[in-house]
Amino acid sequence: MSLWVDKYRPRSLEDLHYHPELSARLRSLAGSGDFPHMLFYGPSGAGKKTRVACVLRELFGAGAEKLKIEQRVFLTPSKRKLDVNVVMSNYHLELTPSDVGTYDRQVIQEILKEIAQTQQVDLNAKQRFKVVVINEADQLSRDAQAALRRTMEKYMSNLRIILVANSTSKLIAPIKSRCLLVRVAAPTPEEMESVLAYVAKKERFDLPPEVASGIVAEATGNLRRALLVLEALKMQHPDLNAEKLEIAKPDWETYCTKVADLIVAEQSAQRILDVRAKLYELISHCIPPSLIIKTLADRVVEQVDEALKADIMHWAAFYEHRMRQGNKKIFHLEAWVVKVMSIYKHFMFDIDLTGFDE
Amino acid sequence: MTSKPAKTGGDIRSFFGGPGSQPKPPPKANGSTQKQPIELDLSDEEESAVSTSAKTARSTLKRVSLAKAPPPLTTSMRPSPAKAQAPPKAAVEKAGKKALAAPSGKRKSIVIESSEDENDYQSSKPTKKAPRLSKASVASSSKKSRTRKDDDYDDDQRALETDDGDNFIDDDEEEKPKKNRKAPGKSRAAPKPKPAAEKDKLEKPTAKPEPPPKGKHTAVEKEEPTEKPKPKFNWAAKAAARAAGPANPGSKEIPEGQPNCLAGLTFVFTGELSSLAREEAAELVNRYGGRVTGSPSSKTSYVVLGTDAGPSKLATIKKHNLSTLDEDGFLDLIRTREGVLDEKAKAKLEQEKEAIVKAAKEMERRENDAEKENKTKAGAIGRPSPNSAQLWTTRYAPQTMNEICGNKTAVEKLQKWLAEWPKNLQEGFNKPGKDGMGVYRAVLISGPPGIGKTTSAHLVAKLEGYTPIEVNASDARSKKLVMNSTNVSNQSLDGWMHGSGEHTTVAGIDLSSRSVLIMDEVDGMSGSDRGGIGALNQLIKKTRIPIICIANDRTLQKMKPLQGTTYNLSFRKPDSKAIRSRIMSILFKEKMRIPANVVDQLVNGVQCDIRQVLNMLSTWKLSQDNMDFDEAKHLASLNEKYSTMTPWGVLEKLFGPYTFSATSRESLNDKIEYYFHDYSFVPLFVQENYVKTQPAWNKNMEGSMKDLKHLELLDASARSISDGDLVDTMIHGQQQHWSLMPLHAVTSTVYPASQIYGTGGHWGSANQYTFPAWLGQNSKMGALNRQLGDVQARMRSKVSGDKGEIRMTYIPMMTSRLVKPLIDTGSAAVDGVIHLMDEYLISKDEWDTIVEMGVGDNRGDDVLKRITTATKTNFTRKYNNTDHPIPFNRGQDIGASLTRGKTEKPDVEEAIEVDEEPEDEDEDAVPSGRRKKKDPTGIADDKLLKVSKGKAPAKPAKVKR
Repeated sequence: MSLWVDKYRPRSLEDLHYHPELSARLRSLAGSGDFPHMLFYGPSGAGKKTRVACVLRELFGAGAEKLKIEQRVFLTPSKRKLDVNVVMSNYHLELTPSDVGTYDRQVIQEILKEIAQTQQVDLNAKQRFKVVVINEADQLSRDAQAALRRTMEKYMSNLRIILVANSTSKLIAPIKSRCLLVRVAAPTPEEMESVLAYVAKKERFDLPPEVASGIVAEATGNLRRALLVLEALKMQHPDLNAEKLEIAKPDWETYCTKVADLIVAEQSAQRILDVRAKLYELISHCIPPSLIIKTLADRVVEQVDEALKADIMHWAAFYEHRMRQGNKKIFHLEAWVVKVMSIYKHFMFDIDLTGFDE
Repeated sequence: MTSKPAKTGGDIRSFFGGPGSQPKPPPKANGSTQKQPIELDLSDEEESAVSTSAKTARSTLKRVSLAKAPPPLTTSMRPSPAKAQAPPKAAVEKAGKKALAAPSGKRKSIVIESSEDENDYQSSKPTKKAPRLSKASVASSSKKSRTRKDDDYDDDQRALETDDGDNFIDDDEEEKPKKNRKAPGKSRAAPKPKPAAEKDKLEKPTAKPEPPPKGKHTAVEKEEPTEKPKPKFNWAAKAAARAAGPANPGSKEIPEGQPNCLAGLTFVFTGELSSLAREEAAELVNRYGGRVTGSPSSKTSYVVLGTDAGPSKLATIKKHNLSTLDEDGFLDLIRTREGVLDEKAKAKLEQEKEAIVKAAKEMERRENDAEKENKTKAGAIGRPSPNSAQLWTTRYAPQTMNEICGNKTAVEKLQKWLAEWPKNLQEGFNKPGKDGMGVYRAVLISGPPGIGKTTSAHLVAKLEGYTPIEVNASDARSKKLVMNSTNVSNQSLDGWMHGSGEHTTVAGIDLSSRSVLIMDEVDGMSGSDRGGIGALNQLIKKTRIPIICIANDRTLQKMKPLQGTTYNLSFRKPDSKAIRSRIMSILFKEKMRIPANVVDQLVNGVQCDIRQVLNMLSTWKLSQDNMDFDEAKHLASLNEKYSTMTPWGVLEKLFGPYTFSATSRESLNDKIEYYFHDYSFVPLFVQENYVKTQPAWNKNMEGSMKDLKHLELLDASARSISDGDLVDTMIHGQQQHWSLMPLHAVTSTVYPASQIYGTGGHWGSANQYTFPAWLGQNSKMGALNRQLGDVQARMRSKVSGDKGEIRMTYIPMMTSRLVKPLIDTGSAAVDGVIHLMDEYLISKDEWDTIVEMGVGDNRGDDVLKRITTATKTNFTRKYNNTDHPIPFNRGQDIGASLTRGKTEKPDVEEAIEVDEEPEDEDEDAVPSGRRKKKDPTGIADDKLLKVSKGKAPAKPAKVKR
């Protein structure tokens, strides 16, 4: 009764639906006995983790699928207790150090050393090394990344590291140079549609192509999302061939749309306060601010005059960048909102903007 | 150029350097225009000669200011009809000056003047048109002539000026004289030839580069469409006004009035004056013996109106038919008024003086008596200490109730309480009495230092015939000492009753029934006085003598115990008037000649700290017997007390209309200083509230222009706040560049405030300032983020996504699968929901998290409301009655080896929690026998999961905090 997205997750490299060359390469790597450190990167929902899981299976056999989760407690030098969830099988171990924020270095050092210093005891194991998968590697602090460097070389004999990241830009060069970089690109619409069709077939219902393409367009390259949307849609409308279907958007996206509409509808101090309240609502509910600004900007741009689009996007990029540098995201988000309101209002009154932008 | 004889000397005139001296030029406003040599007219001359009676001047001025029209918004965009008829006077004059001024090359200095010139016109404009016309002609001729003179003078002055950039002393005296001249018959047509002016007029258009009429060019102050008689050249005048920017701080000469020329007058200031800061104006009034009050009443002599006067004040003015002045009128009043007092005021003054003399005599007498007594006692005690050796504060400590300055009611209450104490003691302290003091065995006097708390307590005790026993911070007052030295058990407190030889003592002083214990500086009981307050409280509960506790701040946490057992008497700072007469008496006695207004200045300077004033004066007396106003000001500033403002106070100050106004004298550093009152909170307060003001920069605009400008200002502020966050990240990030704090102050606080300062946001208004939401929202985000982490951890074995993906894609989906069925189908859906939860290893806690995560239509609270109570109960009961798979156990503590030994023994309580054993929810008391140890059907064969039940007791406890 799992959700389809989890139910039909491919288990082995053979089952993967797209990027066949990549699958082939991974298979040969796993078979070569000279498995390198790897860095999987690509957008969310492209299938990185799935591929990592398949590779592990290829390396160690089905044993790698027997997962258990452990919560480990670390003590920081300042006596703070940190809980880290570690997913592990007999052959590998997977952790997300960025969960503990600035203490990630601690986790990396402790766990990696622990693993690295113990030999594989299972004599039947296919490989002599264990694998450590590090999720959200791009969120690792510089210290943590530095802590990885030497370990990666020193314990090569009984440890391999697989990093999973959305982008490599935040990883320091020494790490990148020690890894085999594997890019998992988002599936193309056609590939996604074929996956959707595959799921529909397995679930024994008929998926009209236009619905499939609608879902794919909505999902913007995120296969996970596409599958979830498909299931939600199927749940709401058992007959997908019926009249025009409204593809449900996630709650936060609808909410962002509303906020964008608020911005376009009125530009005033009071409206800024309203928008601020809504932005706080979004941020406090764990919607990443950079996603908020992106969604808002997209929506606002849809509604404004051609002449303003470039400007609005420019400022969105400007403040998004600042958001990443700064601490209090709402400050930048709000600054963008005010900027957009100001630009928009200026435009509405047809007033020369020279000297206004930088 | 020819020079005018410097005889006019009364006016020390200097040019006012525009941009240099202005604290903040309006954004972008004068950029281009400032460079132009726009002319000004400086007037001058000995208008003292004009000797207009104060009265006539006043009446004209009054009309002037009252008639002031509301400023137009878009002056810059289109010439208003009013302006169209503007007299060419200004233009002419300007042109003339310009021509003359051009060669001088001192452009900067000139710029601002032009605006005054303009302002002058504007302010004079609104007087009735009809009478004006005739006057105008007269005036204009005189003006032209004057203009010439002025120019000459200007040049002269320029020659003398070395640095005109920062001369604040500039005057615009011209304005006043002009007005005077406008009074009927006052025109002084000077013999200057008109042609010059005409020539200038011709020159003008070519000479003047037009400033781009941009929306942004909004002179904030005084940009009014003026109704000048002739339509020509108004654009030039307007441009000049625009170029002027805000009103000109220090642009008018502060006149030297006769001493006490304002004596007996009461002033109220409202709105913003164009050249004087509010404090300066008030100081001026004080200097000349007048009084400033906050709001107008029937007793107010004059209301000085600035721009944007408060409507309620205007209403009061109308109601009481008060005289009003504008700034020039006010300055004029000082210049011209002689300090004549009417009979009543005189009598009053006389009376005051008598009282002072009398009080001084009384002191003298008392001192003599004391002296005599000392002498008679001399044999016994030894060498008598001369009175003069005592501190003034002791020497002139009040000896009667009347001599206590301020807090009369509080002192009377204290006296009454003390008087009734024996009676209350007999009755067991159960009759509250009229003011509820009857039930208290002790009082707690609180208030700022130097206002006579200790003095009052001693005096009252003395007057009531008690012997004060003072225990203060110089005595150790730990718990033990308080208990022992004061016999808290009171076993022997009534020793005196038995008449035995053993008297009880407090701090070594014999107790009698007429003793009162004065616990001074109670809030100083800290550190080494551990437990002292508690012991004191114990003492208070049982005491058989009255206790008076004294503290500065009764709200402190450590004062808590005393709140319930003591009657609270708050002493407030007395107002300077209450102190003044007392000080004057002392001064008289000491034969120092210091006028009342100087005393006021001193008193206000140290915030009504009587003790400090006396100490200051006694020191001063060593060198001099006189003090003038400026000396007092200086002395007070030397003794200034620094107090930390709350963020609210800072906000009020920064966002208020005065700190950034053109007339403000606060430097950038002063403004940065506000940030440092509380550097972690002030930026947050600014960010929270910068949207809530009505900015001063756009107050003169209307309609869409106003909104537009407002958004621009907000944009500038928001951007700066965004900058501020980047700076903050550098300060609080890894590098910790604390030296950047001043920069942070500017970007996060000062600059935004400079943009949007104005009115509004006050308590009770629609957009009142609020506490920063960021703090609450941030911790909420942290909490939800942690919960989301738990959800992700539990779903991890099924789901590959990270936290973000869980939130973005799974939670909306989960909501529709886990929550919607409960809403739509009710209890029937419970099984399905629980099944899915088990599938994903989600517990009830995580279910709550998922609900709470929703935004918009899925908002947690709303969603929960839509589930019927019956369903909810059913859901909870069912969930608790079944067993659920547990995704993980807590593993060994990797980094905690050190602490492991200590916590080796099993701790059942924690182990249960660790294992996430479902517990009974409060909603339903379910017999819980069944839920444990039941075979977890369907899970047993799942090797991926560890079912934890039964393991709990055996498990070693986790590291305990």
